[in-house]
Amino acid sequence: MGIARPVSVAIEKAAEGSREAALVAELQGGSEEAFSYLLAVYQNPVYNLVSHIVESGSDAADVTQGVFIKVFSGIRYFHAQSSLRTWIYRIAIREASNHRRGWLRRKLREAFSLDQEPELSDGIFARSSIQSETPYEIAECSERQRTVQRALASLAQPYRTVVVLREIEDMPYDEIAEVLGISEGTVKSRLMRGRELLRRKLEGYWSQSHV
Amino acid sequence: MFENCTDIRGLFSRYLDGYCESQEMKSIRFHLRYCRPCTQELEKYQTIQADLRGLPRRRIPPELSLALRVRISQQLHNNWFGCWRIHIENFLKPLLIPTSGGVLAATICFALLLGSNFFPPVHRPDVPLALVTPPRLLELAPINFNTDDDQLVVMTRVNASGQVTSYEVVSGDISPELRNDLDRLIYFSVFAPATTFGTPTNGRVFLSVSRITVRG
Repeated sequence: MGIARPVSVAIEKAAEGSREAALVAELQGGSEEAFSYLLAVYQNPVYNLVSHIVESGSDAADVTQGVFIKVFSGIRYFHAQSSLRTWIYRIAIREASNHRRGWLRRKLREAFSLDQEPELSDGIFARSSIQSETPYEIAECSERQRTVQRALASLAQPYRTVVVLREIEDMPYDEIAEVLGISEGTVKSRLMRGRELLRRKLEGYWSQSHV
Repeated sequence: MFENCTDIRGLFSRYLDGYCESQEMKSIRFHLRYCRPCTQELEKYQTIQADLRGLPRRRIPPELSLALRVRISQQLHNNWFGCWRIHIENFLKPLLIPTSGGVLAATICFALLLGSNFFPPVHRPDVPLALVTPPRLLELAPINFNTDDDQLVVMTRVNASGQVTSYEVVSGDISPELRNDLDRLIYFSVFAPATTFGTPTNGRVFLSVSRITVRG
């Protein structure tokens, strides 16, 4: 069993690699169906990632659009040195970071407060999937999610990006390093620092809520 | 094995992700057994991790998704070749099935008609359709003709009905007896008239006549 698992994983990866190669060939050939498929697979993950990095929902929409235009125009130069997902995420991170830099030039960063409502909170905190929860529990869960979201949004971008890629996108360290163009050691240290900052920011909220 | 709290807390991040080595895992577990503050701190990290992973995934707004598809489609066809290809495809697609059907039906009908007796076989000789053809000698009259081993070249004028109208000896010696024989030979021979675009017309033909002996 201990041997069968890695073999099956390797076969699965090889099959996925050949599927991806076929998709890339179609994309490079200018197939509209292939781009529709690419959009269907990656539009939500990319939007989710971008919206955690930029400040507002409308900005996230603009950046996501820019990301896919870049993917479209740059697919001819994609030589499969990394996976397609890594390549797309790298573009998304770069676009979001560039947008954020421009946004920062226009607007001074406001002081962080856990009571402040973020722009992205509208309609994104869906109620928990557990149907048996009471309205109080649902409200508490929603409030908790808002707080965590605000704490995450208040992190400095290098830490936030790594935390989002690890915790939300569930990427391994090596892929995060590849997406961000940094070493694995830097990924580990940023992740540790980001988690520590989050714990400190959320400690006050937890102590209030448990009173 | 028995690290202090600072060392152990430095491993929490990798411990949460399952990236610790077995020795580090043992150290952390052993330490957590007797260290309450570190256990509480790890629980906080685990709660944060669960909260982050439990955040609802943001979905792209439908209007943005549509706008993206339109934009990509525009980009795909944003060149003159692509535009022309689309125009040509749009023009040809409605005609494709009727045209293919028509050609196929015509081919089938033609094949069926060719195999049937609808077209009776024609046994008439072909009419030469070359631009201009000279008169041709079809049949020489069976008359003795002795030129004493000399050769006569005769220019013969043939009308549109294939009849000889006159002739002229171009080279060779000819005696009065020989001329009588030549008269009979020429006038009783059968000629095909000259043609112009398949239409019979007057023409000239040069005959080279040498000794002719008819047996019987």
